[in-house]
Formats: sequence, C-alpha cells, structure tokens
Amino acid sequence: MRESAAFPRRIDALSAIVAFTTAAFERLGAPPELRRDVDFVLEELFTNVVKYGRGTAPVAVDIAAIAGGVEVTLTEREAECFDVTRAPPVDTTLPAESRRPGGLGLHLIARLVDSLQYDYSPAERCSRITFRKTRTGLPPDEAAGHEGATC
Amino acid sequence: MLTMQGGGEGPVVISGRLDATQAAAAQSYLDRLDGVVTLDCAALDYLSSAGLGVLLKTHKRLLGAGGRLRLTAVNRHLQDIFSYSGFDQILEIEPGR
Repeated sequence: MRESAAFPRRIDALSAIVAFTTAAFERLGAPPELRRDVDFVLEELFTNVVKYGRGTAPVAVDIAAIAGGVEVTLTEREAECFDVTRAPPVDTTLPAESRRPGGLGLHLIARLVDSLQYDYSPAERCSRITFRKTRTGLPPDEAAGHEGATC
Repeated sequence: MLTMQGGGEGPVVISGRLDATQAAAAQSYLDRLDGVVTLDCAALDYLSSAGLGVLLKTHKRLLGAGGRLRLTAVNRHLQDIFSYSGFDQILEIEPGR
C-alpha cells in the first residue's frame, strides 16, 4: 500500500504535507507515534529543496507501509546533485555562544531514521531520497544504513 | 498552527507546531521579552530545526543581557530533538510528565 502526492516548492506547502502524512498514516494503518519524526524529516528535506533547489517542478512524496513502520520517498525533479547522506558533521557539544542557527537538519535526520538512501540520476536530473522509520528500528540484515550517491 | 501567550512576569505558553512556517512569528514574539524567559511547552506538539534556530537565537540574545531562556513541561519527542542537537546542554530544560 502506498500514498502519493506532489507539492509546490513553497514553505507554506508544509501544512499540506502535514495534512497528507496525517491522512496517509491513517489510511496505511501506520504507527501514529512515528508521525512526528516523519513530519520532522520531511520538513527538513522539503525546506532544503525550497531554499536551495533551482527547479520549479512540484516535489513528490510517497509513503508506503512496511513492517512496523513506513518507507518515505521524496522525489525532486530539475534537481542538482546533493547527497544528504554526506552532510558535514555538526559539533553538538559547543556552548551557546559558539552555536549558529542552521545546519542541524541533516544531522537530526540521520539520528531519527532507521535508514537513509540518496539516489541521483544525472540524465533525468532527478534526486530521490528514501528513508525508513519503524517502531523498533530495522534489524541489521534489513537496514540499508545511510547510502549515498556519487555526485 | 502555533499560538503564544503570556510573557512579562509569567511564562510564555506556546502551543501547536513550531515549524518553518511559524518560525518568524515565534521569533517576533520572543524578541519582545527580556530577562529570564520561561517557555511552557506542555502544549508544544512539534519542533523542527527552524524552531531550534528561534530558541537558540533568543537564548543567545537573553544571555547577552544577563537573562536566559528556560523550557518547562517538555514532551518526549522534544526531549529527543534537544538531546540529538545538543540543546539539552545549552538550555535549562524541565521534562513534562
């Protein structure tokens, strides 16, 4: 079972994305306690597209039910290659005076998901980010880890 | 949807979702406050990195004037976000029930 929708590249589309994930979780029978983490990851990925993407094509979001959770894919067309699995590390031990707003999104995504995969097709200029979130985390033999693409 | 009420002598009660669409409004509200500002998070359901940026900017401004930002009644989800981001070492955070 899978739910799909596309959203314009505007920050105010976030409310429609939240409405979509809420409805998708209900229709798919996905664990509701996972939804905030899924919303968080989708918001971070989507706002990156809005801030840094140069294309105009809508951004597609697909949510599929898997055992104990969901697999979510965000597809951006007219995309430049940016491997979200290779974000620079963030020093979360710095004192407040040395911290700067921003830069935390991808770091937090890596902490919240079971697996994160980035694929990029240069021919189609299409990037595809897939993450999984389950109640218990995937067992090691099923976990995809954090797999990147060669940009 | 995000709502914020109070401040001054009492806590600021924040409820709803502090995401990228609400960050500017939240920042504008908190920019008016000084001293030790307590944010009652009992009804704050969701916080994204945009919200973290608002809290950090506010805390740094308050620190510079001898105050600080403290958070109360923080739910489990928010505690995880604060822990993963290291904000639990920066801000005074009181867990919720």
